[in-house]
Amino acid sequence: MKFVRPYLFITIFVGFMFLSAHAQNCPPRPLLGTVVYDPYEVTSVNGVLSADFVMGHSVDDQGYTHYCYDYKGTRGIVEAPTLRLNQGDMLKLHVKNEIQSDGSASAMKMAPITAPVCGDSGSMTVSSTNVHFHGMNVPPKCHQDDVINTLIQPGTPGFEYNMQIPSDQPPGLYWYHPHIHGFAEFQVNGGAAGALIVNGMEKVRPEVAGLTERVFVIRQQYLVPWIPGPYQLTVNYHQAVFGLPLPIIQMKPGAKEFWRVANATIQDFLVLQLQYNLKAQNFELIALDGYPLAQPRVENSIIIPPAGRAEFIVEAPTAGESASFVTNNYSTGPTGNPDLLQTIANIQLTTDAAKTSSYTEPVSGPPVNTSRLVDVTNKPATTQRKLYFSEEFGGTNGPIQFYITVDGQQQKVFDPDEKPAIVTQVGAMEDWTIENRALETHAFHIHQQHFTVLEVDGKPVANHDMMDTIPIPFWEGPGHPYHSVKLRMDFSDPNTEGTYVFHCHILLHEDLGMMHKILVQPAGTN
Amino acid sequence: MSIRKLGKPLFLHCFLLFCGSIWAAAANTPQYLITNDDNASQFFPNSVTFFTIGTNGSLTLTQQVVTQGYGIAGGYFPANRIKAFNVGSNQCVFASDAATADIASINVNTLALVGNFQGSQGDTGTSNGIGLALNAQYLYASFTDSSTIGTFAIQPGCALSFVADVTVSGLQGGIIDGMAVNGNTMVVTYGDGSIESFNLASGVPVSNGDEQNATGAAIGNSYPSGIDITQDGRFAIFGDTSTATQVEISDMSSGKLTKTTVYKSPAGINSSNVMLSPDETLLYVSNSQGDRVAAAFFNSATGTLSGGCRSTLLQGYGSDWYYLGGLTLASANGTGQLLYAAEYGVPSSIAAIQVQSANGTCTLSGAANVPDADPDSQGLLSIASFPPRAF
Repeated sequence: MKFVRPYLFITIFVGFMFLSAHAQNCPPRPLLGTVVYDPYEVTSVNGVLSADFVMGHSVDDQGYTHYCYDYKGTRGIVEAPTLRLNQGDMLKLHVKNEIQSDGSASAMKMAPITAPVCGDSGSMTVSSTNVHFHGMNVPPKCHQDDVINTLIQPGTPGFEYNMQIPSDQPPGLYWYHPHIHGFAEFQVNGGAAGALIVNGMEKVRPEVAGLTERVFVIRQQYLVPWIPGPYQLTVNYHQAVFGLPLPIIQMKPGAKEFWRVANATIQDFLVLQLQYNLKAQNFELIALDGYPLAQPRVENSIIIPPAGRAEFIVEAPTAGESASFVTNNYSTGPTGNPDLLQTIANIQLTTDAAKTSSYTEPVSGPPVNTSRLVDVTNKPATTQRKLYFSEEFGGTNGPIQFYITVDGQQQKVFDPDEKPAIVTQVGAMEDWTIENRALETHAFHIHQQHFTVLEVDGKPVANHDMMDTIPIPFWEGPGHPYHSVKLRMDFSDPNTEGTYVFHCHILLHEDLGMMHKILVQPAGTN
Repeated sequence: MSIRKLGKPLFLHCFLLFCGSIWAAAANTPQYLITNDDNASQFFPNSVTFFTIGTNGSLTLTQQVVTQGYGIAGGYFPANRIKAFNVGSNQCVFASDAATADIASINVNTLALVGNFQGSQGDTGTSNGIGLALNAQYLYASFTDSSTIGTFAIQPGCALSFVADVTVSGLQGGIIDGMAVNGNTMVVTYGDGSIESFNLASGVPVSNGDEQNATGAAIGNSYPSGIDITQDGRFAIFGDTSTATQVEISDMSSGKLTKTTVYKSPAGINSSNVMLSPDETLLYVSNSQGDRVAAAFFNSATGTLSGGCRSTLLQGYGSDWYYLGGLTLASANGTGQLLYAAEYGVPSSIAAIQVQSANGTCTLSGAANVPDADPDSQGLLSIASFPPRAF
């Protein structure tokens, strides 16, 4: 979208002003044109991963506001480490909020007054925070993956997430980020996002066994996120700026590597390619959104929506080839922001590349539980639903209403006090057709579960990929059909029980209410 | 013959001479399409551009009049930033300068700026624009940031004198969005989906006590924005900000707004501006977020809509311009002959669509033609015609 409603602009701008401009509690970011290393890793030990995060913020010399999950590692304070666990492990994550403000930031009600408060009480402000474990199939409960009621306020002792990674959580790449309604965009724009890996991919897809693993978290930063304008992409916090020295990814000539790429941008649809001598290279796609594919596929380009992940095997160039990791142009429609062609990093050949990665996929180890990867598309659906994205513009500067609507219900923006737009129960097997009736591409995401893609634009797809975020292209206007996807929603997992949300993962849209609740009741509820 | 006896004939003589000169002036005044260019740059103050309308509807840029104020190059779609006035000897164009919170007045006969007129200090439209509406005595300005309506008396020579302003608010606290006036009736829309009418008998708007949520808003999928009022004042017609083309009509025969009836069509997106043809047989719809205009048949006796037509794709949408603004017509008679639509871009342009209507069918053709450039505008949303439609 190009413009936002003025009152929100004022509210957030005023809120932003109350952040302490001199706070400097985020680590310095890498220098331009330097070698990209994998994020620092924190791994589980004896079935438990314990970590203390401090959410801070600072403003850099260029005026970019950083938000950071600080972690005290063996080499000092690092930002947003990768959390690496195994199926069934416990994640004990303590999060303390040290976003500095003078306490008068604009407030916005977060949760129903009658709802149980999880964590701290008070109002949601630009300096409140919480954590969403994106793609994880864990319960939407307090201290696990609840984002509706969980609030961590600055200056309080902090909050403990304490959850068990499901024993059948597919091995793959997930991620974590703040999910404060109304302000998620600011903190993610500032860099508060990190990777979460569930080990064992080599057991499901032996193609990766023994390969060097690379983890790339691609983020996006605007000077002021709600104002359209130039943005920068970063890879593992290295700025990729046209005309300036680019990040460097080192590889051994001809070596195969297993790349795990998270799109942690606030709104950029990445169209990723590896180009050697300007020619797109094939890669072997292994997993999407953390879930291994039924069969690897050879591709030379992949679209990853905001919040999506892709894992693939690449082969390094040979000596003498120029090589780069790029994202291509992507049209998000007449009212969307253009996502521009950009080189994310140049690839440099070296025989010492192993130092940039700290992890090699094992070649042996205990088996993993793959029971969640069964194909459910041949089972009958218990319910059919239609949802649609739409937008209303009141003027060139807004107000803009961003809606996701269950067909037949009233179009409305998300209200923390609202009743769930969808009520179902554990055991249900539903098909959701989601249309995009807006002149802008949207990215559908649902918490707590993955869906299986059945159809795109009314046509069955060849690959029943399991994902948690999917782009739905913009409507070309009257006289054209709406673009749509049909998704199989499997609510058989008891971890889906509870109230959680589905929304557009363009974070401004989510913040402005393109989101609703779903209530999954216990099995057998009348 | 005494002077006293000479008085009446002399008066009549002078009166006839005076009227004759007015008539001559009016007869010599070309038909104009007029734009509020809404320029915001300090290097390009706002201006009003006059295009002469040719007999075939062609537009010839005739004069750019600098308003001495500054616009904002955008804002609310239904805030009509320019109005033409043609009463007695006063042939004027009023254009709002949103950034400087003033209204520029231009004499149509001289194409010269008369002056800039301001309301009270609290009247602002810096973010969303200043809408204008008028009757034979007063010009009304809706300041969409302060949600105030300023009343200005129209003086001879196109000068304005500020009378007063009133603060208005929607049922849920929404600020003013669209505004229309017909005689002593004013109708406004608010950004929260509510509507209200006012009595203008005393000049300053006085609420008729009929504020209500429009039906379209109540069912949750739109809110009324642009407004037109039938010549007899019986019906208020609302174009909705909506994900479709949606129009609502309220019967005002009682002097108050009544529950609106909703008409919806997939003909376009975001029908923020509506305009009746001079003969009230067609309602034109500008789909601000879409790429085409539409028309529906209007029954002025019953206040109902039926059928209609829509244009093909307007050229340049999505590349040269992004939003459709207001509408105006080449002729103040019949169906208006040619429909013009403001195309918001940098620079902006004006689409001309031929209107044909007979035997219950209509066509809007010529949309694929190259639009007329408005090189003076960096954000065109509002256009008007002179002489204006009679109501």
